[in-house]
Amino acid sequence: MSVIRLLFREIEYRKLNFALGLVSVIAAVALPVSILTMCDASNREITRLMRNLGFNLIIVPADTNMSDFWDRQYADKTMPEAYVTRLSQSRTLMIQHLVARLQQRVEWRGRKVLLTGALPEVPMRYGAQKSPMDMPIPKGEAYLGFELANSTGLKAGDALELTVNGRTRKYRIGRTLREQGSLDDIRILLHLHDAQDLLNMPGRVTDIQALSCYCKGADLSTLRASLAKEFPDTRVSELRTQYLVRAETRATIERYAAFLLPAVLVICAVWVGLLALSNVRDRRHEIGILRAMGVSSVKVAALFLGKAILLGLVGAAIGFPIGTWIALKWGPHVFPVTAGKFAAETQYLWWALLGAPLLCAIASYLPAMVAVTQDPAEVLREE
Amino acid sequence: MIVLQDASKVYRTREREIRALDGVTAHVEPGEFVAVRGPSGCGKSTLLMAVAGMARPTSGRVILDGDDLYALSPRRRAAIRARKVGFVFQVFHLVPYLSVWENILSPRLAGAHATDSEARLVAERVGLAERLSHRPAELSTGERQRVALARALLNKPKLILADEPIGNLDPENGRAVMDFLAEFNQEGGTVLLVTHEDLAASYAQRTLTLERGRLLPD
Repeated sequence: MSVIRLLFREIEYRKLNFALGLVSVIAAVALPVSILTMCDASNREITRLMRNLGFNLIIVPADTNMSDFWDRQYADKTMPEAYVTRLSQSRTLMIQHLVARLQQRVEWRGRKVLLTGALPEVPMRYGAQKSPMDMPIPKGEAYLGFELANSTGLKAGDALELTVNGRTRKYRIGRTLREQGSLDDIRILLHLHDAQDLLNMPGRVTDIQALSCYCKGADLSTLRASLAKEFPDTRVSELRTQYLVRAETRATIERYAAFLLPAVLVICAVWVGLLALSNVRDRRHEIGILRAMGVSSVKVAALFLGKAILLGLVGAAIGFPIGTWIALKWGPHVFPVTAGKFAAETQYLWWALLGAPLLCAIASYLPAMVAVTQDPAEVLREE
Repeated sequence: MIVLQDASKVYRTREREIRALDGVTAHVEPGEFVAVRGPSGCGKSTLLMAVAGMARPTSGRVILDGDDLYALSPRRRAAIRARKVGFVFQVFHLVPYLSVWENILSPRLAGAHATDSEARLVAERVGLAERLSHRPAELSTGERQRVALARALLNKPKLILADEPIGNLDPENGRAVMDFLAEFNQEGGTVLLVTHEDLAASYAQRTLTLERGRLLPD
């Protein structure tokens, strides 16, 4: 007679108790496995979709110091404005939004502001046309960042005077911008040609934004190589927006999973714990006589914890294929683009085989302690 | 074999205090067959559990085969029970999912070293050789008590503690169970029997009478 034999005999005798526990563990394994498998697929899906959406690129003069660029948010070198026209005539590139800018920090009313001259979006000559993202800035007008408008009290319709290197120009404030919480709040936006005139840089731009840039079948490096070939005196960087969107989407899914998975696990643990407690109550006389015979508390605890571990192992072994089946069966309907890439994530099997017995053991710990500490004298006196 | 020295056991509830044992002093010699009698609630079962090392007296001492039981750790007391004591209860307390054979062997869980052939001899002795594969639910009450007896005898105890062992049995089965206990006693074992049955008490060489936790003089 051993603890193992007693354990299996009891399971065989109280099949319902074990089966109810098993259903709970299977659910606790299957649900996370299916959710996590689908999350993995979803990440692949997002990556793929984002790739299809294209890249957001910024093209700056080749000799731009990129450390300074990322620090100041504008290039200190310039390149010909004509590049934007050349880009718009490309037959291989598909760029949904093309914006040329000339930027420089200037002094205005005793403070440093970012002067940005932007050309209205240049439409691509070939391929489908997209509506521009921003309203074009009319010549002679200036758009004022939130902080600048707020601190000076200037509003739409007021006059704005700018002086750079002895050149003074007057503009009408076309609009004041909403708070962005970014560099945009200290930005003065002009039409590109007005900015070129003010800065005395005719026909020059500091950067070109090529947004939602897509080259059929090409990844970022191919795209960069293609641009480098076309414009050898420029360099191309990817704007972080795409990464941020991807990371944000992934974080949203992870937050969702982070809420759902613990909830499932807690419900399962409570259920297993309650079943174990009910099992302890059913077996109080048996425990009482075992303790009376001199069976140690360790062995009595082992009866319950051993059962819990077995429950976890069997639940994991059954729950994993069920969870995977659910993901493989329903996942392709939810994520049609990456449907072909749905596969069993075997790493979750190992996690399940480790985690489910641990969860069951933790859930059964308290009931096991109840069994160990119950007073055998009290139970054995019962008739 | 058993020495109780001014043993008292008090159960306290919110409303009142119950003195299950009240200054009990008694001696049971090795090889004696002693019955403990008295009305319901007089403390008979508490006395039995105190002797088994499972109900610590509020005051006083319980010495079993030379060991001051409650001076020892619970683990040591459990080891003493496993080695020296067998139990027989009114409601048998068999493990329902084990067969007769497995129930008889269950003291092995506590470290009893009986071999299979010794266990078979015990089963034959109580007349259960043909019923070894049955479960307790498939047995008559008399047979169940005989399984409990065989289980108690497996580890060759020095002492059998029996709490109303024939309380649930008809006279014929009751006599059979008492005959086994008498046989154990004749072979040198000590029996402490709690009963209110005259039949059971008639097997004892000596009777201790408890009333409201106090031992009445002989």
